[in-house]
Amino acid sequence: MKTARTTRITVYGLLLIWCLVSAFPLFWMVSASLKPPSESFAGINAFIPQDPTFANYARVAQLVPMARNFVNSVIVAGVGMAVTVFLCSLAGYAFAKFDFPGKNALFLLLLATMMVPPEAGVVPLFAIMRALGWINNLLALIVPNAATAIGIFYMRQYISSFPSEIMEQARIDGAGDFRIYWQIVLPVITPALAAWASLAFIARWNDFFWPLLFLRSKEMYTLMVSISVLPVSEGLSTPWPVIMAGTTIAVAPLVVIYLVLQSFQREGLALGAVKG
Amino acid sequence: MSSNSIWARMWKKRQIYLFISPFFILFGIFQLTPMVWSFYLSFHEWNGLGAPEFIGLGNYRFLLRDKVFHSALRNTVIYWLANSLAIIPLALILASLLNHTWLRAKRLIRTTVFLPYVTATVAVGLIFNMLFDYNSGLINSLLELIGLAPVPWLTSVQTSKLPVIFLNIWRITPWHALILFSGLQAIPHDLYEAATVDGAGALRRFFSITIPSLMPILFFSFITLTVDAFRIFTEPYILTQGGPANSSISIVQYLYINGFSIFKLGLASAVGYALTLILLIVSFGQIIAMRRESGLMEGN
Repeated sequence: MKTARTTRITVYGLLLIWCLVSAFPLFWMVSASLKPPSESFAGINAFIPQDPTFANYARVAQLVPMARNFVNSVIVAGVGMAVTVFLCSLAGYAFAKFDFPGKNALFLLLLATMMVPPEAGVVPLFAIMRALGWINNLLALIVPNAATAIGIFYMRQYISSFPSEIMEQARIDGAGDFRIYWQIVLPVITPALAAWASLAFIARWNDFFWPLLFLRSKEMYTLMVSISVLPVSEGLSTPWPVIMAGTTIAVAPLVVIYLVLQSFQREGLALGAVKG
Repeated sequence: MSSNSIWARMWKKRQIYLFISPFFILFGIFQLTPMVWSFYLSFHEWNGLGAPEFIGLGNYRFLLRDKVFHSALRNTVIYWLANSLAIIPLALILASLLNHTWLRAKRLIRTTVFLPYVTATVAVGLIFNMLFDYNSGLINSLLELIGLAPVPWLTSVQTSKLPVIFLNIWRITPWHALILFSGLQAIPHDLYEAATVDGAGALRRFFSITIPSLMPILFFSFITLTVDAFRIFTEPYILTQGGPANSSISIVQYLYINGFSIFKLGLASAVGYALTLILLIVSFGQIIAMRRESGLMEGN
């Protein structure tokens, strides 16, 4: 079908504006982080730093333990992602491919838990974490989210379409249920695992409420908590370029990984109909 | 069937129960126990030290007349409505724009428009703080450039909710657009061709084919949007700290202040229950309102 020229121009025009609006705040952040304190960041001529400097990055590393916070974020997001992908796919496999007493009731219960806001029980949860000795400990962020309802739901939907005959064949050959999962199902569902892994990583890297609650010292902070205290860490006067340097450090790893993954994958990340 | 054989069948499947057990164990420890304990606490006054003191419905009665909680509730509802009214239509537009078969550089465009969702809320909050600053922000300097008066975005009771809403729209729309996009791709092409042959215009095709076919996914979008909107915390916390004069405070932030700044733990627990209740009512309201279109009733 031939599409009218005006339609094409309108669609491309709108998408161009959309791309600019999407990328602009990030561009502005990087630009501001490279400015010496004297330079203005208002007005049209402030788009590109006149006299770019990396001094703000050195300054922010003096204000907060950035390297340490970076490692904390990597541990929380990385370990959390690995564990949750394993446990969610294993449970999703069980719900998708086996019949067992109480299966439907348990699955409904699992879905119902998604409606309850976890913030509601936050006061006792804090007491539980204290009893476990997990206040100011990264375990408080990794363990409660090690298996999530939405992750299991997503994996079940995906694994349901895996042909059962292949499993039967393996069973005849003497493979147990776990070996079938590990050696036959897992390799086939890597697209779903990759999509879920990236969503889980993004969610954990960007998480703020729980780290703010459970992490109590500068050294244990994740990057998000660390940059959130930057505006007040030097009284009220931390200059914006320094804050933006911290923000760039916190945002850059995800954006870079995302861009690399997008350019390597043929179809792009099939970030399906769910999130981490 | 005797119960004996049920136990026998369960024992046979013990390994499968083991596979699904981590979620239920973690849920029991880190969500169910806190919820039950929280229910108990919501009828008590407690500052974390000593024994909780039973005060009946005192905390809930306090919430009914507390002005700050009223602000928090009103603001949260406004965030939810603004999100629903802006994000879903915008996401639908973006998804439709991306859905043209002749479009070039598809992956580049998709990658770029999805960038906001990859960017952490805290980071966007700080960036928006700078952009919306009264004296040195880019937004006001652009307004002045076209001859308008600067707006005290973050420091006025009238406008403090707007940056929070803008941040949400900017960051969340791509996620919903992506979901709706996958839904658009599943609509068979011949439906549109048949309608075109029958003389239906673009607008007509959109409302009588696209929207009805997307209903189950739109429903999913509305529900997730609602749950997220009622749990909003980071955006106002970073942008305005809930101010000025509580004009942008959210329910979860109100809960956080009571639980972890002024240690009214019983009251904070009551807020948690109020939030859960409101969220359940709103979600079920949506499920009932959209039950026919949602695809939940299929197969009945």
